[in-house]
Amino acid sequence: MPTLAAEPLLEVAGLSAGYGKIRVLRDIDLTVGAGEVVALLGPNGAGKTTLLRAVSGLLHWSGKVRFAGRDLTGVGPRDTVRAGLVHVIEGHRVFTQLTVLDNLLLAGYEMPRGERAARVEEVLELFPEVAAKRHERAASLSGGQQQILAVAQGLIRRPQLLMLDEPSAGLSPVLVDRVLLVVQRMRETGTAVLLVEQLIAKALALANRVYALSRGSIVLEAETSEADLPQRLEHAYLATVR
Amino acid sequence: MVESIVLTGLAIGCIYALIGITYNVMFSASRVFSFTAGTLGMLGGVLGSLFIAQTGMPLLVGFFLVLAAGALFGIVTEIVAVRPVLKSLDQHLYVLSTLALALMVQQFTAIEWGTEARPFPRLFDIARGGFDQQFWLPMLACAAVIVCLELLYRHTLVGRAFLAISEDNYAARAIGLPERSLRIASFALAGVIGTLAGFAGGEMLLAFFGNAPLLTFYGFVPVALGGMGNNRGAVVAGLLLGLFQQTANFLVGGIFASVAVFTVFIIVLLARPEGLAGASPQRRV
Amino acid sequence: MDTAAKFRPSRANVLGSASTLGAALPFLGLLLVGIAFPLFGGGYWGVIATRACVYWVLVSGLNLVVGFAGQIAIGWVALLTLGAYTTSVLVAGNATPEVPPYPALAIAAVVGAVFGLIIGLPALRLRTFYFAITTLGFATIVTQVALAWQSVTGGGVGVSGPIFPPPFSSQWGFYYFCFGLAAICTWMTANIAASRFGRALTAIRDAEVAAEASGISKAALLVPVFLFSGAVAAVGGGLFAALQSYITPDAFTLDLSVLFFIAILIGGRGSILGPLLGTILLTVLPELAAPLVAWSTFLYAVLLLLIVLAVPGGIAELLDFKNRRPLETGRAIIPRPELLQQLLSAPRDAGALTLQQVALSFGGVKAIDGLDLEIRPGQVHGLIGPNGSGKTTTLNVISGYYVQQRGAVRLNGVALPELARHRRAHLRIARTFQTPRIVGSASLLENVMIGGTIDGEGTFVESLLSLPRHRRDEAMLRKAATLALAVVGLERLAQVRADRLQHSELRLTEIARALMLRPAFLLLDEPAAGLSAEEIERLGALLLAIARAGTGVLVVEHHPDLIFDICHHVTVLNLGRMLAAGSPAEIRSHREVVNAYLGG
Repeated sequence: MPTLAAEPLLEVAGLSAGYGKIRVLRDIDLTVGAGEVVALLGPNGAGKTTLLRAVSGLLHWSGKVRFAGRDLTGVGPRDTVRAGLVHVIEGHRVFTQLTVLDNLLLAGYEMPRGERAARVEEVLELFPEVAAKRHERAASLSGGQQQILAVAQGLIRRPQLLMLDEPSAGLSPVLVDRVLLVVQRMRETGTAVLLVEQLIAKALALANRVYALSRGSIVLEAETSEADLPQRLEHAYLATVR
Repeated sequence: MVESIVLTGLAIGCIYALIGITYNVMFSASRVFSFTAGTLGMLGGVLGSLFIAQTGMPLLVGFFLVLAAGALFGIVTEIVAVRPVLKSLDQHLYVLSTLALALMVQQFTAIEWGTEARPFPRLFDIARGGFDQQFWLPMLACAAVIVCLELLYRHTLVGRAFLAISEDNYAARAIGLPERSLRIASFALAGVIGTLAGFAGGEMLLAFFGNAPLLTFYGFVPVALGGMGNNRGAVVAGLLLGLFQQTANFLVGGIFASVAVFTVFIIVLLARPEGLAGASPQRRV
Repeated sequence: MDTAAKFRPSRANVLGSASTLGAALPFLGLLLVGIAFPLFGGGYWGVIATRACVYWVLVSGLNLVVGFAGQIAIGWVALLTLGAYTTSVLVAGNATPEVPPYPALAIAAVVGAVFGLIIGLPALRLRTFYFAITTLGFATIVTQVALAWQSVTGGGVGVSGPIFPPPFSSQWGFYYFCFGLAAICTWMTANIAASRFGRALTAIRDAEVAAEASGISKAALLVPVFLFSGAVAAVGGGLFAALQSYITPDAFTLDLSVLFFIAILIGGRGSILGPLLGTILLTVLPELAAPLVAWSTFLYAVLLLLIVLAVPGGIAELLDFKNRRPLETGRAIIPRPELLQQLLSAPRDAGALTLQQVALSFGGVKAIDGLDLEIRPGQVHGLIGPNGSGKTTTLNVISGYYVQQRGAVRLNGVALPELARHRRAHLRIARTFQTPRIVGSASLLENVMIGGTIDGEGTFVESLLSLPRHRRDEAMLRKAATLALAVVGLERLAQVRADRLQHSELRLTEIARALMLRPAFLLLDEPAAGLSAEEIERLGALLLAIARAGTGVLVVEHHPDLIFDICHHVTVLNLGRMLAAGSPAEIRSHREVVNAYLGG
């Protein structure tokens, strides 16, 4: 009988990260509980993408990151994926020269072959518009479909925590809803989601909790059920230091 | 006469094309052009002669040993000369590290094997005819490599992982592909292709340490003209280069043939720095 | 406040002259050793020493190409071959009536200059590796031509080298001849290194985009360098032929080419002393033990690999004691905007800089879609917007890095023509970059002096020979750069290697470099990124002061602090079009802006 985990699924403490000499993130504290949807909001240049890259191991960081009870110091993306933490990067980057099917198979590169094929079919069922093009090159998909493909790739390894970096960017409203529907379904199946988003209203509608990041620091942490959240967010972003 | 020119031209063109493919495979995996491609070709001939003619190993054993040595050298190249400099912002460093490694191996060969060109053993006991094995061996090798690469890229997941890494390294890392292992594997593959080129062309080029700078240059021409990372372009350009070189050889003699090749190369490159096929971001066989 | 009194010569300046003496000491030491050499060196070592001098004559020129300009010219031995054969053939009278040695050497220099240019010019079009391969090809070609052109060069049999008349005919006489030439080459290349040309070369090598933005033309700069290096290499060839007394094509192997190249890399790029020591080292090394001779190239290659992996800066880095001294931690940068009056004192009469319906697409993506913008002198204009809204692209169009497909960029009402990228600097439009583009291995002062390159009047030859106009240029640039560093608050760090400094300090260095142009317009690309709140405040004050001094300032930014505090006008971009424009107060309360900014 599993006991209630006292430790959150993802625990970030005192995280700092940057590019070369440029420090982007300063002393970040953040948690994501199992099955939670957490929204990470903030203006451009705040460091949201940098935060995701640090957690998934694409970038060097200092501080403390623990996932599912495991210390992620020095761990790269290959191992975070294995551990159940998947990062769907920004910009709907899929392998345009390969077919949709290949893109999904590659996402399951390290799975046993039979399991991989079955899992790909399972995921394709969730996304009929992409499944219809399974043998076509990813280059022939629209931007929105490519984004859906990227999210589908993220699901192949059955992650415990899926980190999505601006999945709505450049998508038509219809497709935005499609993608966010997937996020909702994931909440229902117990997968945790850390969602970086520009569309505040939509993100707040889906999330349990929200963090706001500005200029490399967390400036707000709240439950989405709290009152007057949009005003507090605006204030947090645009407030000057003085 | 024409037949001889065409045969020699195509055969040597195949060798150049294969070295070009060697460059491309290393480039696709790492965005690095390595000076060791020509050295691999040289090693194919020298080691082939060493194992089979000198040490008397059976053909197949010697052949596989040569390819294994090539794979090993490829891996060493990645670890010693490529990976350490990939992290650095200084672009020029990889040119120097691979140059240094290539020179070390060339010099070692020159000293231990000697600076004289030594004969390469005749691989099959078939009488010499018009279409002799020194011509069709390189062509066979080239065709085999093209077919195998096609199979690799189209029908195996590893091959498609190679394509993914070369198209978008960052995205490949993010979805959890073992980028480092794949890169090492690419360099091993490049090593095999390079030594295969030298082995298949051994009878033509002889086992000669001086083949290294020769192949470094002539093997790069197909890459420059065919487009970086474009294997099909490399094959076409390689064959054309071989034919052009042999024709020039016949018309104006060996020395001026080199001048002719080089001049044409420079002119084309200056006119179209991206190569004749144009810049191709996609990796294809 | 008496600004003249405030600007006392800083310690950095005083140290500067002391360090120049310190820098000259090793050369003086080598000079003395070289002059005295015959006293303690025997005949055998005399040959080695002469050979080192001959090699250095070539390497000193190649150093400018490889070490300073950063071009991977591996096949430069082609010029040694050319020089050797030209001199020998002329003296022997194989193709022409016999020519005395000195004129033959001079003619070889001319031939070398021409071919140096031919071999080098592809560097302007080709990528690094491609260029390296073409130089290799050249080297092979030249050797093969020497082999084939039997009537003139003697083919494989070879030809005898020139003999110089007394007093240079004896071994030691010839040694002093070569030594003298080597010393002159050292002096000349050291002059270039300490001139705006040398600095511009390193800028092209390490920060090409910044070099363009400072007005430096790669082509215009590399031409004299290739001419000089070619000439000097050919002279080395002539001396080489005389030293060998008989030359054949296989004297000019790839090994030799590699030696030259590696000597520079081992010595360290951007240095004169390093490659000099490297050349001496590589010439002497194989002579220390008999077995080493055969393995010499192998050793060079091993050394090269070690240097690349362990000490990329080479001997020069090892000898850079000055930069081993620890820097004070927790150093604060205090800009001194009051000094701006001195720096920007010349009147500038530019009108406004306007964009009129500018449009630019990349592929199918409309980066800028019909934009109007006006930057007035004396004001700070903010340009904000979400990612992908076209801010940086707009800045790139103004700075001339991109050319718009529709619309016009006007200065004072006159449309700016489509020019080469480096020409905008001449219009006094300066800029900084999102990620600081600086020459890491050079000092802050040198980096800032790069910004004033186009204000120098002396020619390449005048710098080569350290003529008065060169020295005037140097003094002028040094003074202006020190003042610029004082303005941004970094004068105490003037002599420190740039790559030792923090990000915020490098940002300000870029601003100092931009100020050297005495810009009519200053464009800043996200200058606040990575700065602390205090630093942003000081930056804001500095930018306001720059504007008050008459410059039109454009700031592309995310950080609302900087924008709302210091901007007189703000333009908000979204999807390549103007979403709103007005005063900061208006923009802050503009509903659509807030939404676009926050992505609502």
